[in-house]
Amino acid sequence: MKKPALPRQNGSAQKKSLSSLLAVVLFLVFFILALCANIIAPHDPWERFDPYLPPSVEHWLGTNDLGHDILSELIYGSRVSLLVGLGAAVLATAIGLCVGLFAGYYKGVTDEILMGITDVFLMIPRIPLIILLAAFLKPSFWIIALVIGFLWWTSTARVVRSKSLQVSEMNFVLSSKCLGFSDKHIIFTDIFPNIIQIVIPKFMLTVAAAMITEASLSFLGLGDPSMKSWGMMINFAFTKGGLINALWWWFIPPGLCIMFFVYSVVLLGYSLEEKEQAVLGIS
Amino acid sequence: MFSLSLKAENISKAYGNGRSSKKRRYVLEDISFEVQKGETLGIMGESGTGKTTLGKIVAGIEKATRGEIFFAGNSIEELSKIDYARFRKKVQIVFQNPEGSLNPKKTVEKSFQQVLELIGIPTEKRGEVLLDMLQTVGLSEDFLCRYPHQLSGGQNQKVALGRVLLLEPDFIILDEPTSALDISVQAQILHLLKEWQAQKEIGYILISHEREIISFMADRIAVLKEGRLAFTS
Repeated sequence: MKKPALPRQNGSAQKKSLSSLLAVVLFLVFFILALCANIIAPHDPWERFDPYLPPSVEHWLGTNDLGHDILSELIYGSRVSLLVGLGAAVLATAIGLCVGLFAGYYKGVTDEILMGITDVFLMIPRIPLIILLAAFLKPSFWIIALVIGFLWWTSTARVVRSKSLQVSEMNFVLSSKCLGFSDKHIIFTDIFPNIIQIVIPKFMLTVAAAMITEASLSFLGLGDPSMKSWGMMINFAFTKGGLINALWWWFIPPGLCIMFFVYSVVLLGYSLEEKEQAVLGIS
Repeated sequence: MFSLSLKAENISKAYGNGRSSKKRRYVLEDISFEVQKGETLGIMGESGTGKTTLGKIVAGIEKATRGEIFFAGNSIEELSKIDYARFRKKVQIVFQNPEGSLNPKKTVEKSFQQVLELIGIPTEKRGEVLLDMLQTVGLSEDFLCRYPHQLSGGQNQKVALGRVLLLEPDFIILDEPTSALDISVQAQILHLLKEWQAQKEIGYILISHEREIISFMADRIAVLKEGRLAFTS
């Protein structure tokens, strides 16, 4: 007797699950690199060797103009890039979440005021403002993270607001109101847990945006010179002759790291978003 | 027998933009009624006639465009903070969709515990009160660790009713409480409601489109049609 065929995933679903797996693996690799940089890096990133050494067994990615081991710089650089990305995303998500939750729950005048403020922030040209602030303030990666966080919350606020509007009309929220629970209780224990699934992908996408912004600022020479980040490495390669002399091992690896990390974060964000849509029954 | 009352006076509700009356559509117009403690008022009407909106207005969770709700003779708009908190506890609503009445992210236990905390039951007594309530609504202890999606419609509705009963309300607005349930569970819930009414003298405003349910439960019947309420014999 012929056995019934097992249900198989179609091509598109298989591709999606593969890309999700790839995103998780890439993210974990970078996360572990940042977390265990002092164990994994072969040298101290500030230790000096002969300058401009090409890749070798001793220095897998060669050395830069100051004789610093590029592989070690790259591994330590992941810490700064990740910290800026995560720090800015935590701040941006927290602000966006609060604005969106309060606007969506209270509606009316509160909604109009909060969304008006959001529209004003949306109109600010973000990169030029960050460049200005970075030029006037003492260059520090914490300041960069703070500035990015204060400017990148708008889209989270809008998404959270629209979902909060929807959830706050659901019967369990109305029941809580009727039972006499406080607004704070309803917002944080009834509405927030039911919108968290849309906040996580937004958080991941903000991490990616913040990392690219940090890399761009560092590349423009507005980063923190006392810290080694991927953007700063490209900046040094550019200003100290790495690009002109085609010292590819100096500028390509940090560029690839930025690309792969942002790719993994964006993919993770989309996978989580798709998972949420599947739960809601949206194809 | 009847003393405390819940009264709606000239309630109107309009939807639509603009201050001009032409742009507004009235779903409820000049609706007045009074329910006494221990009595059941049945409100019938077809779908889309504004029954749920009326229920929400009477429960104080939606504002009327015109008119007032009186609880124990006082307009709820003019109640002091303390009196409003009392009104909030004493007038409750149970919704039609049992699955949607409970937070999907909270277990049954968490849903109950938060109400017990709200009404100030000491931590050491909460377990006992909770078990008593489960028994009252006919659920076993095994349901405590379940989420709403792991319960049937009837079980969800019992949990929703149990949460409301913990507040010992004087009035419950029942917005089609059994319409999403199968016939045997419907009968079970309706008998429970009658039993509690006999024991605790609760006043019900039962909103439904099913004549049989209204006839079985209600002392007085009103029909909502084209935004107006008419009492029948």
